[in-house]
Amino acid sequence: MTTRRAIDVSKLEPHVLDHRSPIWWGNLMLLFIESTMFAILVACYLYYRVVDFHQWPPPRVNIYPTLQQAYPALAIPTANLIVIVLSAIPIIWVDKSCLERKTWAVKIGLIITVLFGAVAIALRFNEFTALKFRWDDNAYGSVTWLILGMHLAHLITATCESVLMAVWIWTKGMDDKHARDIRTTCIYWYWVVGTWILLYTLIFWGPRFL
Amino acid sequence: MTTPAVEHVNQLPGEQVDPQAHHELDRTWTPAHGFIGWLVDTNQKHIGMRYIVTAMIFFGLAGLLALAMRIQLAFPENNFLSADKYNQFFTVHGMTMMFLFAVPIMEGFGLYLVSLMIGTRNVAFPRLNAFGYYMYVFGGIFLFTMLFLNTGPDVGWFAYTPLSGPQYSPGKRADTWSQMITLTEISALVGATVTICTAFKQRAPGMTLNRIPIFVWAEVITSFMIIFAMPAVMLASGLLAMDRLVHVNTHFFNPAEGGDVLLYQHTFWFFGHPEVYIIFIPATGFVSEIVQTFSRRRIFGYTALVLSLIATAFIGFGLWVHHMFATPIPLLGRLFFTGSSMLIAIPSGIQIFCWLATLLTGKPQLKTPLLFVLGFILLFVMGGLTGIMQAAVSVDRQLHDTFFVVAHFHYVLIGGAVFPLFAAMYYWFPKWTGRMLNEKIGIWNFILLFIGFNLTFFPMHILGLQGMTRRVYTYVPETGWGNNNLLATIGAFIIGLSVLVFLVNVIVSRKRGEIAGPNPWGAPGLEWSTTSPPPTYNFLYVPTVDGRAALWDQTKDTPVIVGLSHDKREVLTTTLLDARPDHRYELAIDSIWPFVLAIITSGCFIAAIFTPWAIPVAAVLAFIVLGLWFWRGNEPKFLVERLKATPGAPPPEVQRTFAAPNIVAQLKPGQT
Repeated sequence: MTTRRAIDVSKLEPHVLDHRSPIWWGNLMLLFIESTMFAILVACYLYYRVVDFHQWPPPRVNIYPTLQQAYPALAIPTANLIVIVLSAIPIIWVDKSCLERKTWAVKIGLIITVLFGAVAIALRFNEFTALKFRWDDNAYGSVTWLILGMHLAHLITATCESVLMAVWIWTKGMDDKHARDIRTTCIYWYWVVGTWILLYTLIFWGPRFL
Repeated sequence: MTTPAVEHVNQLPGEQVDPQAHHELDRTWTPAHGFIGWLVDTNQKHIGMRYIVTAMIFFGLAGLLALAMRIQLAFPENNFLSADKYNQFFTVHGMTMMFLFAVPIMEGFGLYLVSLMIGTRNVAFPRLNAFGYYMYVFGGIFLFTMLFLNTGPDVGWFAYTPLSGPQYSPGKRADTWSQMITLTEISALVGATVTICTAFKQRAPGMTLNRIPIFVWAEVITSFMIIFAMPAVMLASGLLAMDRLVHVNTHFFNPAEGGDVLLYQHTFWFFGHPEVYIIFIPATGFVSEIVQTFSRRRIFGYTALVLSLIATAFIGFGLWVHHMFATPIPLLGRLFFTGSSMLIAIPSGIQIFCWLATLLTGKPQLKTPLLFVLGFILLFVMGGLTGIMQAAVSVDRQLHDTFFVVAHFHYVLIGGAVFPLFAAMYYWFPKWTGRMLNEKIGIWNFILLFIGFNLTFFPMHILGLQGMTRRVYTYVPETGWGNNNLLATIGAFIIGLSVLVFLVNVIVSRKRGEIAGPNPWGAPGLEWSTTSPPPTYNFLYVPTVDGRAALWDQTKDTPVIVGLSHDKREVLTTTLLDARPDHRYELAIDSIWPFVLAIITSGCFIAAIFTPWAIPVAAVLAFIVLGLWFWRGNEPKFLVERLKATPGAPPPEVQRTFAAPNIVAQLKPGQT
């Protein structure tokens, strides 16, 4: 009877919390897909600006009061930008606490994150009116509403995901598998924050310079 | 030397096989029986095979539509189809061939084969994989149901605005187009994500990046193309749907309110051109594998081939405007895209020279798969040449929207993808079923397809040059187009006959074909080291790899992996570049939630044709279902208890099979 050389892998870790995990890569691919989508939307926005409009935004003539320079308002959008950027603080805390396996910190951090998310979503609904156009007024209105709306969808998704993680941690505690899942959620949240800094700049400051 | 005629043996580890291990793995990995078991199944081979079978059914349906169109065009002023039916038929034919046949079948092959070729037990996200399949099949059923209800799209497979916009296409036909696109693209994106993560993280130890089989490279590169291209068409179809939807009425493509119809063409073709390579690159992967096996030598120019694939993928994103040469594009833009369109011939040429070099320096064995590959090389070169002709703007503007273009893209797509696909069917059928396809019928299959194909599409070059435009439902006798059209129609029926011959071959061989054994071709890929068909867990012992041609390079000292759990669906994760063992990764068990989520998502898109409120409602439902999907411990008892059941002694037939000889020596090249 001959034997065969074998490599015993039973001592390897069952969970890793970083880029070595397939879940991390799956999340990265999702972000590639969504980033591509935003990139093409931004390209459409610029295409309309260059090809189809002499003035950007176009003068508002169909609603009273008419506006010659219908720049988007800045107050609420900027307030929301601050909220969204600040939401990175609790989520970074959650991320670090997952690595250190501090369950209590993750529990509290997730709740704070969800609160930030809820405020951002509420403010976002008011942000649409800052655009001064409806989605069905013209192509400028359509494309800006869509960019805001798509990012809103991500805000809602990220917040709901954090709610789900929070419920799990509060009811079942945190094992390594779920620590990994939460870290993945954190990466998604960073992406939501990061994309918004760019999109906010484009939508609310872009018309003043383009 | 004998090939073991028994099934369910994993020979790779050689003489020592533990029957108890086999039995335990079988319990852990085999899905439940019955219809429910079928719905919850997440095994990658089952899902991959469902993709392949479903795609072949859609191939047949779209082929029937093509035959109806050819009957209509066989004679001048024919009355077989009305203009309206003809419009629906050519649109649904194109959509089906692109979105329901070509892309899904290439992904299906990948989903079936990638895990076997890289030596792992299932894909990285089995549930997501099942979800992708259900999205695809619902999209297909939706399209054909709408066609049956006389609401099939009639705006061409690229649905240009303003024709497809609310003003010129009232009714729901164009909406059918946009929602079906979205459904199938979600499926493609899901499949791409699954493929990339599996190939990056679950390769057998030793399979470094520069030892990955070329077909796996092809699938990975295609998946990246899908990830960067599909969002464009989802956006194009989504914007079109919003423009059309009552109570939403956006103005993305409405010139009266600042919208732009050309922007639609840009977003569509930014996807549409890479789409061609999404279909073609996996096909070149088939060709590389088959040429290597039947030349009895390692593939010539591995690095050049892989870099060519990557180059094709990159350049493929810089060509889209050549579909728009007949629109007012700035001169510089036209010149740039002419240059890039010619540039892409270079990596394709490199691949062809590598295959020819492999064939010429090897000892080619002219089996059916190789026959189809040789047909591919000839036809694809012809299609490529007409492609280069049309890269020149002046030629393109003459030939735009004529039958010349129809001839060109059928040469590239049928010659470039369907011939390799048939080669792949003949090549991997033994692995799927354990039996060989009949060689004699295979040769008839090839001859009929080759003759029928050329008879159908070669005359179209001439028709195009004579000025016959595509998408006309009839023509007058004075044009003189009758003879060539009749030839094309006869050719189309010969193609139909060859597909029937293939079908007969599959049905006969499935029951009565010659027993294949694990490696009937003496091929080097890891998929040939396990039984045919493979067990649900793929490999009894996860293999390791010593070189590019895994089985040709392995020795008696090549180790295997032990220590993965038999009680959980556990796979080995390796590092990205060097494929060193990294950690163990537990896969989720079977679940009904992918199926439920697919119902909600596709229901949402279909309802969104009528009301925008479908989206928030479906979003809430989807969140609930995703929560249940995520929530461990809510799995039905019968699925969980299957895993906990203590396996008794293995049944006698399992013990019997372990008389298998060590087949390592048998796998050396030169012996079949």
